[in-house]
Amino acid sequence: MPPPDALPEPVQILDTSGLLCPIPIVKTAAAVKRLADGDVLLVIATDPGIAVDMPMWCKAMRHEHLATFKDGPSWKSYLRKRPRAPRHAP
Amino acid sequence: MKKPGKAIAMISGGLDSTLALAMIRAQGVEVKAINFYTGFCITETQRRKGGRQDGTVPQNEALRAAAEQEVEIEYIDISGDAYLDMLLHPKYGYGANANPCVDCRIFMMRKAKEVMEREGADFVFTGEVLGQRPKSQRRDTLWAIERESGLKGRLVRPLSAKLLPPSIPEQEGILDRSKLGDLNGRGRTRQIAMARELGLAEWPQPAGGCCFLTDESFARKFFDILVQREAAGEPRRIDRDDVVLMTTGRHFRLSPTVKLMVGRTEVENGTLETYAGDRRARLVARVHAGPVALVEGVPTWEERQLAARIVARYGKGKDEPLVEVEWRDPDGAVEVLEVEPERDEARVEQLRI
Ligand code: SF4
Repeated sequence: MPPPDALPEPVQILDTSGLLCPIPIVKTAAAVKRLADGDVLLVIATDPGIAVDMPMWCKAMRHEHLATFKDGPSWKSYLRKRPRAPRHAP
Repeated sequence: MKKPGKAIAMISGGLDSTLALAMIRAQGVEVKAINFYTGFCITETQRRKGGRQDGTVPQNEALRAAAEQEVEIEYIDISGDAYLDMLLHPKYGYGANANPCVDCRIFMMRKAKEVMEREGADFVFTGEVLGQRPKSQRRDTLWAIERESGLKGRLVRPLSAKLLPPSIPEQEGILDRSKLGDLNGRGRTRQIAMARELGLAEWPQPAGGCCFLTDESFARKFFDILVQREAAGEPRRIDRDDVVLMTTGRHFRLSPTVKLMVGRTEVENGTLETYAGDRRARLVARVHAGPVALVEGVPTWEERQLAARIVARYGKGKDEPLVEVEWRDPDGAVEVLEVEPERDEARVEQLRI
């Protein structure tokens, strides 16, 4: 996926370069926990697995996945934290 | 009147755990999924190496299942020393290969119990089916796992629940026992019918496991290292670097205490470079392009020659009369060996671990 033209300024940048899957997602989860609702996080990773994992993880966690794209040797992934209302099965 | 509850789901993303997840959610229970990273996951290792041999990149099935059902998921990294220690001293022994499944499940369930307590959840559940696996899913084993994990009464196997004693959440009215399953044995027809009924879109084919510990060629390397350490008078131990190296390259046993590992691809060569550490010598052909290789142990002169010949045999200079192989000891000392590439295929195969 190409980088969209305008991406919001991230509140925090998490660099997971060199870490292997699924550790970038583990670190992302910990970072998102400390953010406020609506904050944007930029995750940088070198493991290409992030391109598959991040959109799925965002869907599971109901965060807004903004973009994941390759930028030089690494991957960049933007997401926005969404509040999590307690949910029950439909 | 059913009480609302909260549960922790141990999911792999396979059909059984996906079904269990859907079943519990259908009862109005709030679910948080967890997935364990042991360091022995085949999927993750394949991805790291740039995908499968057919060029596709496998996805993490647990993550896919959680995303499909929009269930919160947490990865739990257990790939540390405590797990490796359990792996070397499994109380319930190994399965067919290096897989201590019963001890591994107990290890995971103990972590799951911590998550359950932290999240204020009522119970933990899994996709285990009674009698599906010869050892780890027998009735007495399921019970041992429950008891030893400290989850007594709070570990639910929704797919087989009707065949097992009522759990605490069933007694407390959080779960309706009549809506739980009574699956037994290996057949999958009923699971597939249930998946259709619950409207589940996707599940992976039974892939023959996703854990290296159940892999026969991995197990050979695993037990080989332990025998080597013993022969060298070293403690019986495996560290994280060993784990990475065991899934990298061709391995040859040159003597009870000396092992050679030869990279098969660019990625593997890079991995061998990175994980050489301070105990392994590093070999590479000088003039003719070839693989990176590591030697563990203290080789004799003959074994050094043999290692160099095998390295030469896997390089571009394999048909040359002589090839220069650079040997770098762990202390940085460099020697260049000029050797004839090994041409005796049968001998090379015999040394393979
Ligand atoms: S297959 Fe591997 S991960 Fe699964 S229980 Fe056995 S040892 Fe543990």
